[in-house]
Amino acid sequence: MKNFKRLGSGLIYLYALAALLPLIWMFLSSFKSDGQIAQNPLGLPTHFDLSVFKQSWSDGGLGLYAINSFIVTLVTVVIVLFTSSMAGFALSRLKFKGNRFITGLFLLGLLLPIQAYFIAQNQMFDYLHLKDTRFALIIPYTAMGLPLAIWLVKTYIDSLPKELFEAARIDGASDLQTYRTLMLPIIRPALMNVIIFTALGAWNEFLLALLYIQNESLKTLPAGLLTYSSRYETNYQLLFAALTMVTLPMIVLYVAFNKQITRGLTQGSLKG
Amino acid sequence: MKPSNKSGLLFLLFPALAIYLFAVVAPFIGTLGLSFFRWDGYAKPIWAGFDNYVRAFKDQVFQSTFAHVLIYILVTLIVEVLLGLILAGYISSRRNTTFLRISLFIPVMLPSVVIAVLWSAIYNPDYGILNSILADIGLANLQHVWLGDPTTALLSICLVSGWVYSGFFMAIFVAAFSRLPSEVIESASLDGAGAYQIFRKIKVPMIQQSTSVAILLCITGGVQGFDLFYVMTNGGPYNTTEVPTTYLVKTVFANGEIGYGSALAILISLVGLFAALGFRTWQSRKQEELEY
Repeated sequence: MKNFKRLGSGLIYLYALAALLPLIWMFLSSFKSDGQIAQNPLGLPTHFDLSVFKQSWSDGGLGLYAINSFIVTLVTVVIVLFTSSMAGFALSRLKFKGNRFITGLFLLGLLLPIQAYFIAQNQMFDYLHLKDTRFALIIPYTAMGLPLAIWLVKTYIDSLPKELFEAARIDGASDLQTYRTLMLPIIRPALMNVIIFTALGAWNEFLLALLYIQNESLKTLPAGLLTYSSRYETNYQLLFAALTMVTLPMIVLYVAFNKQITRGLTQGSLKG
Repeated sequence: MKPSNKSGLLFLLFPALAIYLFAVVAPFIGTLGLSFFRWDGYAKPIWAGFDNYVRAFKDQVFQSTFAHVLIYILVTLIVEVLLGLILAGYISSRRNTTFLRISLFIPVMLPSVVIAVLWSAIYNPDYGILNSILADIGLANLQHVWLGDPTTALLSICLVSGWVYSGFFMAIFVAAFSRLPSEVIESASLDGAGAYQIFRKIKVPMIQQSTSVAILLCITGGVQGFDLFYVMTNGGPYNTTEVPTTYLVKTVFANGEIGYGSALAILISLVGLFAALGFRTWQSRKQEELEY
């Protein structure tokens, strides 16, 4: 029985190693010349030359893509945080005509896949000359993030005691004051999840980034990496250097915040 | 409670509503409308009634995309949910599993384009690691041009998806297992049930809710899947990996058939919706049967 258990453990760890192999290979290959990569794919690099990363970052344009991704993601997250917490608060706590309709409208967004609207969106953005600007990504990323964000905020506030808000009202606070001074601080746990899935969604989004941005200097990482990979199709080392540079920060981020990120992402998807 | 004043309410609701109406609701209605026109994006749109839909039902390439996506969903479903369950079962019954939790979840964090480019390199016949590993362990006769061979391309993409999402489902199941009441498991173990029996007969049946959600995510994610397919094969070789979304993007952006593409888009959305709804009703009916 004990041996059987050990065999199980062995198999699981063997699987984990196999699952990590692609990333290990990518990492090692970014330090190897193209010849070494092709001839000895699993061999260790002979020397650690960092200049290839610099080359990929500046000449390859990876730095520019990263900055663009950063700006688009940051702006999207900030807008989603404010708009979703305001709307979630109003929809959860305030009684007014149309509340249920508006809530339903946002919930519909959880069911609508991007295919259901991106064709006309593309035409609209074309018509409004929004394409090839950062807004062409920030606006749809915000809109796509809102339904889930509002839903998370709303259910979180729904679970709080009513008296909390009624007391603020009796003290003479207006709704906006209540929102700012009372609500924003208490809903932080819900906002944490909103930040996590909105940021990852915007950082990783590909389809719209591919369709709406042709200007090299505005491309975000996913679409930029695709151009990069076709530009350096035969320059393996530069390709792996770029992949490593995109991957490593995300691994570090995940190792540092793995509990919150896992919770945020799984909870986010469970309500899809 | 009642809003303290109207303008405050408007101020709270307006920004979210405006962005959402502008970038999701209006384009959705627009796409629905466009699906009834013939339009290349430049000339005047021509009313087409249900012509685009009729054409879609006769379009054999479009139909084949659903066959491909069905294979993809079935394979990824089995691989991801099963692997996810096994990994979660192992992790939740041991201590010190941080390494496993972290390393298996990492792919979920990465942009799908990064994953697609990396795995295209792994499958590359010139320098890819898969063929060279096969050669190293004496299985050189299994070498393939993985993404260029019609018999292996679709399954190769399924494998990539499995690599990513088994870690994701593992995390969902780990969370579900940790919510189970520990008394049930302890008493079963006192009654002499082994770890495998507890897993099979108690833990897995008790988290059925999470398993259903995972299956649902596999279905909707599969129907909507685009990134891996577009980057790794873009439908090729010989349309064998053409899925609804890659075909849709080609129809609209390469062929400029906006009206027809809109009809395809609406159909794809409906299929995803009905698949999800169908699965849910089937699931709840099964649940009811169990209760009687």
